[in-house]
Amino acid sequence: MIKKFFRILSVVPLAGWLLGGFTAVLIEYYLGDLISYYLYLPKVPVLFGTLIMLKEPLLIPSALAYNLIVYILPILLVGRLLAPVMNGLAALLEKRPLWLATIIHLVAFYGILHMWAGINDYRVLVVKLTMIAIILTISLNIINGYQGEFSCSHPGFMALGAYASSTLTLLLFANDKMFGEALLNPALGPWLFPVVLFIGGLVAALGSLIVAIPSFRTRGDYLAIISLAFLFIVKSAIENLEIIGGPRGMSSQPNYATLPVVFIWMSLCIWIIHNFTTSVMGKALNAVRDNEPAANSMTVNTRKTKMTAFMFGAFWAGVAGGLFAHVLRYVNPSTFGLQKLAEILAMVYFGGLNSIYGSIVGAVSISVLGEALRPLQLFKWIIIPLILILVMIFRPHGLISFTELNVKEVMRPRNKERSEGGE
Amino acid sequence: MDYFFQNLINALQWGSFYAVISIGYSMVYGVLMLFNFAHGDIFMVGTYIGFGIATMLLTLFSAFMPGWVIFILVVVITMFLASFVGVFVEVVGYRPLRGAPRASAAITGLMIGIIFETGNLIILGAQRFSFPPLIKSVSYNVGGVYFTNVKVLIIVVSLILMLALHTFIQKSKWGMAMRAMSYDFMAVPLMGVSINVIAPLTFAIGAGLASVAGILYGQAYPVLDPYMGIQLGWKAFVAAILGGRGSIMGAALAGYLLGFIEMFVPMVFPSTFRDLIAYSIILVILTFRPRGFFGMAHSTQLRL
Amino acid sequence: MAPLLSVIDMTHYFGGLCAVNNFNLAIEPGQIKGLIGPNGAGKTTVFNLITGVYTPTEGTIELMGKNIKGLETHRIASMGLGRTFQNLALWRHMNVLDHIRMAHYSQLSYGLFGAFFGTPKCREQEDQVIDNSYKLLQLFDVKQFATQNIGNLPYGAQRRVEMARAMATKPKVLFLDEPTAGMTPDELIRMIEIIRQVHRDFGVAIFLIEHRMKFVMELCESIQTLVFGEVIAEGPPEEIQNNPEVIEAYLGKEDVH
Repeated sequence: MIKKFFRILSVVPLAGWLLGGFTAVLIEYYLGDLISYYLYLPKVPVLFGTLIMLKEPLLIPSALAYNLIVYILPILLVGRLLAPVMNGLAALLEKRPLWLATIIHLVAFYGILHMWAGINDYRVLVVKLTMIAIILTISLNIINGYQGEFSCSHPGFMALGAYASSTLTLLLFANDKMFGEALLNPALGPWLFPVVLFIGGLVAALGSLIVAIPSFRTRGDYLAIISLAFLFIVKSAIENLEIIGGPRGMSSQPNYATLPVVFIWMSLCIWIIHNFTTSVMGKALNAVRDNEPAANSMTVNTRKTKMTAFMFGAFWAGVAGGLFAHVLRYVNPSTFGLQKLAEILAMVYFGGLNSIYGSIVGAVSISVLGEALRPLQLFKWIIIPLILILVMIFRPHGLISFTELNVKEVMRPRNKERSEGGE
Repeated sequence: MDYFFQNLINALQWGSFYAVISIGYSMVYGVLMLFNFAHGDIFMVGTYIGFGIATMLLTLFSAFMPGWVIFILVVVITMFLASFVGVFVEVVGYRPLRGAPRASAAITGLMIGIIFETGNLIILGAQRFSFPPLIKSVSYNVGGVYFTNVKVLIIVVSLILMLALHTFIQKSKWGMAMRAMSYDFMAVPLMGVSINVIAPLTFAIGAGLASVAGILYGQAYPVLDPYMGIQLGWKAFVAAILGGRGSIMGAALAGYLLGFIEMFVPMVFPSTFRDLIAYSIILVILTFRPRGFFGMAHSTQLRL
Repeated sequence: MAPLLSVIDMTHYFGGLCAVNNFNLAIEPGQIKGLIGPNGAGKTTVFNLITGVYTPTEGTIELMGKNIKGLETHRIASMGLGRTFQNLALWRHMNVLDHIRMAHYSQLSYGLFGAFFGTPKCREQEDQVIDNSYKLLQLFDVKQFATQNIGNLPYGAQRRVEMARAMATKPKVLFLDEPTAGMTPDELIRMIEIIRQVHRDFGVAIFLIEHRMKFVMELCESIQTLVFGEVIAEGPPEEIQNNPEVIEAYLGKEDVH
């Protein structure tokens, strides 16, 4: 029965699902309030009704009904019914260059995201933080998954990027009490923000050398300690630097990290890392991880490979940190401690090692789950660790590990004839 | 000069906590090649158990038993109970992951620790408990240096524990099995000693030791906190690695070194620099001597 | 004609222990030479010394006239000295094709920027690598396994992949470390053919360590016998086979396959 259900749905291409999503978002935009009213919901459910379901169990049927009417049914129906049309479109796009099809799908996906989030500020925050979590998780996966080290220094890299970029924006583009008058024209700010983020990433990458260089001589356990020491050193150093706010942190960063900005950086991150990990230079990380002597004899420069992995992973953590600082418009050193480490490690290991797919799944799951469980407060930190322990026991490498992202495969048309065409 | 000796006593006391906790880490690390990130939180649980037992025994028996008898009873009973916590962690958290990559086991440990912390908050609430004093505090003044009998007790008990453990490992049959396992993981089961006995035993001993450290800690710093395991635990963990894989003496030594650094750094630098300096020193040591003080040069590859 | 690989008076101490004493080797283009000896004699150490895993305490090593002593292994490998491993040093999570692609590392020039952004130069070189890899897989009769994880292959196929991988580094001299370890008699015959094929088609000089006499006798034009780090005999196969010291060193341990 269930198999039949999935078989019916298997003919829907990605474009079809996107169209379905678009329909759902439109329904919510125009009819959301009305539907909520008739379902006795106080307002449009913010996070698929999970918050409502947890706070007021009596409204569970209403929340479920809302999800059914607004999301599930439209997506399924539109997706399935218009599959032939969308398959035609997908087939057309298949003939065009890959980048064209990818951009079209990305823009469509962004449109859905934008409209969905536009209803409520909280949603915007959740989406932004989730996208930042994706960048963080993938970047940690480079070091812990692809390169196979056990690095605990990621919050430190994040902190370096967050503080570097915040200092720059506050110094250059904002009139604030910390650094005084803006040094440059504030209007330039949004345009130079990418440069600022890039510099933040560079600072983090440079900082990673402190961990990368010892990694040439040590592996595994001792490197874990060195990376942990790095984490504490960065945190402590920031706390002692009054000029950047010390333990009180920095605030009032300009609002440059808008939804499109964060989305573009996330997409850029996924694209670049995907290019890297599918190339021979990227595979070198795996070779050094799985058998270093063999890698050496096969002409791989193992030192350069390890250094690349650390610096590259740290760079993106720095970018994520910069985005994070400008989304919350506040940073302070206590954010970048052991709790953040536990969160990021959970996302990577839950989602899956050595896999961009896995990292996206892990980041989205843990982030959204974390938000959805917020009403349960403390129990959140019983449920999430428990889930992770279960995953570790049954799939030690994470849910989706060692699986490559194949963009072309994801976007292809799914007519019956094609899939039986033998591949 | 008095100031120096004053700090020396404090450093020995503070270092004792690190030493006793880090021994537990080092044992598990040496014998089972595992990072047990839950150890700091096992220390916390042990402390709370000690608190419970102490409160109970004091209300029941303080009228007609001298303080030191109750103290010994508290220690013994708490060690006994805490060892079960250790076994529980091994059986539930690490045994199912025995064949798995060590990174996954490490994450599991981390998660168990979080569950302990959150569980504590849920069950006991946000109220801060205060560990009842089991020894009447007596101050001494020797040549201008002030110290209490509690401080001396902590240092002495810690040394006794370490000596006891050392004897156990060197002289007893189980200790020999544990040492053998740290050299060659596979050889011991092949000789007929089951890992399923050694592993929980190692955890039990580590937990027991940590719980005594907790009782002692509770005497010196009575205010308990569900997150107390994190600070002490992670630093003790670093000390264990600094001491070197397979070296319990090294872990203890590193624990005391850490205690010294943390007590003496504020003499020269502002106290907020304490963590910064301590970890920088550790970083430098490990960069130039990756094996730690007495570690075996074992290629510890974290295999995926 | 200058030798491809020239090792002169190579000696190495591990602490106080002399592992290799005055080892000499000259390999001309197209030659196949062998190194035999009982277990623990130091054969793999000789390999490791020449390929840069260790730097010999004394001696001269030159590849095509250029000094390689003290260089890092990957540099030596990219200069034309390839090797296989006794224990099949494979990458457990990689598929067969990627094993071969990996060995092209030093032949790539598109740099990190190219890798990050998928520049035309990067894509062109990557396509070339894939092409060349498939050719090699075909040559070693493992093309059908291309997309499979290396762990799924039978042992003989894994050995052939390892050969293909080593050949992908475009070596002038190929070091083979016990290439037939663990093989059945059929696989062994196949391996002899493969090595002959490699020798013929790629024109590569070969230096191999082996235990199995028949294998070594079939292939090598000259053999050295290493015992406790010292060469006790050197010469063509027939001479070595009948050398009393060699026979004694093996203590009758003659694999008759």
